[in-house]
Amino acid sequence: MGSSLRPVSRRARAERLAPYVLVAPTVLIIVVLRLWPLVLGVNFSFTGDGELNGTVVGLGNYLELAADPLFLTSLRNVGLLVLLLPVAVAIPGLLATFIYLRVPGHRVYRSVYFFPAVLSPVIVGAIFNLMLAFDGPLNTVLGAVGVGPVDWLGDPGIAMFTVIGVHVWATFGMALVVFLAGFSTLDASLLDAARMDGASLHQIIWHVIIPSLTRTIQFVFVTTMIGMLTSMFGLLFIMTSGGPEGSTYLPEYYIWHQQGQMNRPALASAASTVLFVVMLVVGLLQITLLRRSGRQD
Amino acid sequence: MRSTNSAVTALERLAGRRTQAGGAGTPPTVSCDAVMSPSGGLVKRQRRVYVTVLTVIRHTSYLSAEAASPQPISESEQAMKLRVFIPVLMVAGLALAGCGSAAQTESPAEESQQKPQKLVVWDWKSGEPTAAEYIEKAKADFAKRHPGVTVEFVAQPFDQYYTLLGTAIQTGKGPDVMLFNGGGQIRDRVDALLPLDQYVAEDKSRLAGWDAFTKDGKIYAAPVTLQGHPIYYNKALYEEAGLDPANPPKTWDEFVSGCAAIKKATEASCFALGNKEGAGIQFFMSGLGSGILTPQEYDDWIAGKRDWTSPHVKRIFELWKSAGDEGLNNEGANSTAMFTDIFRVFQTGKAAHIIGLMSDVGHWKDFGEFLPPDKIGVMPAPVVTDGTTPSLAFDGGIGYAVAKWTKDPESAADLVRSLTSTEALTAFYAKAGAIASDMTIDVSQAGPAVATILSEIKTGKPALHVALSSKTLDLMGRLSQQLLSGSTTVDEALEQLAASDRTA
Repeated sequence: MGSSLRPVSRRARAERLAPYVLVAPTVLIIVVLRLWPLVLGVNFSFTGDGELNGTVVGLGNYLELAADPLFLTSLRNVGLLVLLLPVAVAIPGLLATFIYLRVPGHRVYRSVYFFPAVLSPVIVGAIFNLMLAFDGPLNTVLGAVGVGPVDWLGDPGIAMFTVIGVHVWATFGMALVVFLAGFSTLDASLLDAARMDGASLHQIIWHVIIPSLTRTIQFVFVTTMIGMLTSMFGLLFIMTSGGPEGSTYLPEYYIWHQQGQMNRPALASAASTVLFVVMLVVGLLQITLLRRSGRQD
Repeated sequence: MRSTNSAVTALERLAGRRTQAGGAGTPPTVSCDAVMSPSGGLVKRQRRVYVTVLTVIRHTSYLSAEAASPQPISESEQAMKLRVFIPVLMVAGLALAGCGSAAQTESPAEESQQKPQKLVVWDWKSGEPTAAEYIEKAKADFAKRHPGVTVEFVAQPFDQYYTLLGTAIQTGKGPDVMLFNGGGQIRDRVDALLPLDQYVAEDKSRLAGWDAFTKDGKIYAAPVTLQGHPIYYNKALYEEAGLDPANPPKTWDEFVSGCAAIKKATEASCFALGNKEGAGIQFFMSGLGSGILTPQEYDDWIAGKRDWTSPHVKRIFELWKSAGDEGLNNEGANSTAMFTDIFRVFQTGKAAHIIGLMSDVGHWKDFGEFLPPDKIGVMPAPVVTDGTTPSLAFDGGIGYAVAKWTKDPESAADLVRSLTSTEALTAFYAKAGAIASDMTIDVSQAGPAVATILSEIKTGKPALHVALSSKTLDLMGRLSQQLLSGSTTVDEALEQLAASDRTA
């Protein structure tokens, strides 16, 4: 009896183990290359720099961050990015709408709008550095029409908006393509019906197009958000280097600055941890929002 | 479930044994704990880690048991379990917190018996064509003395240089010899460097600029170039405005009225100022400082006794602010980049003066490409405070240092000596346009600006800003932009700088 049962139980055990074996490589990669470095980073953030290297300083680095106006500016700028997110989504959305509604020359616009998306941030930054220089072409044009020169990159009240504007210019092509893809699933008969009923352009956009594109808009919101929070470093580095007066710092740039320029790796780790928590919160909020609106469908 | 359970049992056993072992005084296996808390705290922490890991495993097994069961579980239930699982993982991470360090404290001592056949050098110069001959000469000189040792130069991009170096220092592995900027950049990192005093004793009188590579009386690098901040002026603009280019203004008042005349005649601004990176204030402070601070104040400043409340220190920042307010600078100074844009403003005759550099970029040789060399003058700092004696501000510019972790300090130090040999430095001066640290090089062919600079080297003093930490310099850069834009006052700026200088 016992000997006849054994192969069965062995197979049952193999079957039970199979899933673990199959997910093991993925889990290992995630744990070793993602979670473990994360834990090490958090760990480092509780130690000191320089002479205190390797010594536990508790929350010292976090307290220093909380008192550093530069880091607080960088967090405020993250808030600004979140606030400006609707604008960054609305621009490609509107332009895609016009292309979909076949404004004259829409074929040209479609390719022209996408063009900046293939340029690297460094090149975009360099181009706009030339364009927006105090004695650059844009200010010359402004001067010609009688408006005083604007210090686009040298005025702390303007510089952050300039950089965000350039970032939106450089990246909205991708969102535009996603919107156009969304439009291709739009039911044309709805539009025709609205037109027959004499709806204005405004009414068509508000009551037909936006409700039909909810899913696409959500997707663009999430991807634009991720793009803004994670890939502004190149532009900042080239265009403002965090200045003027430290007004264009973002956490990423702050981390790089502390680690690379100020030789404060532990403080940089603490800032990374704070950024991680911020991203975690933002990401969870987005997932919650998406899930909630998904249920409404 | 047996497999998971057996793993749990094994870990439980391990946790238990660890406690006993700790109790018996056996050294722990986790090295960071050994460093951090060699006594009682360690047992507790290690145990906490194991217990947390156990909890995590229990939760996973709980999840998988549910998954294996025939009954379907609702989505929300699963989500809830995940929600439990993630914080548990995070707690596991935090339980480890406080042990370990951001940078390795010990250097790898093993393998030091075996003589290395290769020295690795990091810098940002060796890749440039103008430095090729310099590197060749230095290599040849080193090869004569150490035929068995090969040398590899790795040129890093300057933008990322200190980031890469920081990583190397943290891991305690990296180049044997590395290039540094003098001042804060090297002083912040001397923990990773080998004092060179015993090796470079013979070179001390031949080379100038050691101070910038010295901390607490120990030399950490040998200077290759001298870097300083002469005030260059455009003689052609002086002539146009009816001023005598051979007699540049001696006092600040003369200087300002001369600038007014130049502005009237040529529309050129007085200073070319690029403060986008916040480096403009450093040049300003060091270029003009010797005409503002008394010799005693100057020496005290360099020696570390900096009185940020003294009227003369305050005067430096007032002058900076008033130069901006009174339109002495080119417009848009806060958005004009120092190294890429501002030198163009001077070269194209849009500004009459620039506080430039002596080596690398932005100097006599660079300007000479656009302005004829005989139209470029160098003037001493105008006297702002009566009784001051203007002097050229200069320091060691760049220099090669030896890493503490190198396996063969003698060869590495010898390589540094080869890199500062007269022959190699002559090549560097001639090709790259640098004021080399070697005072025995003949520079009579290079034009009047170089002649003036060299004649001032003997009476020169270290630059004021080089004495400051990189943290204070960083802050000063931002404050200088605020002073120009009017969003802070001189008093507030000085207060912040004093606080930063105290803690640095």
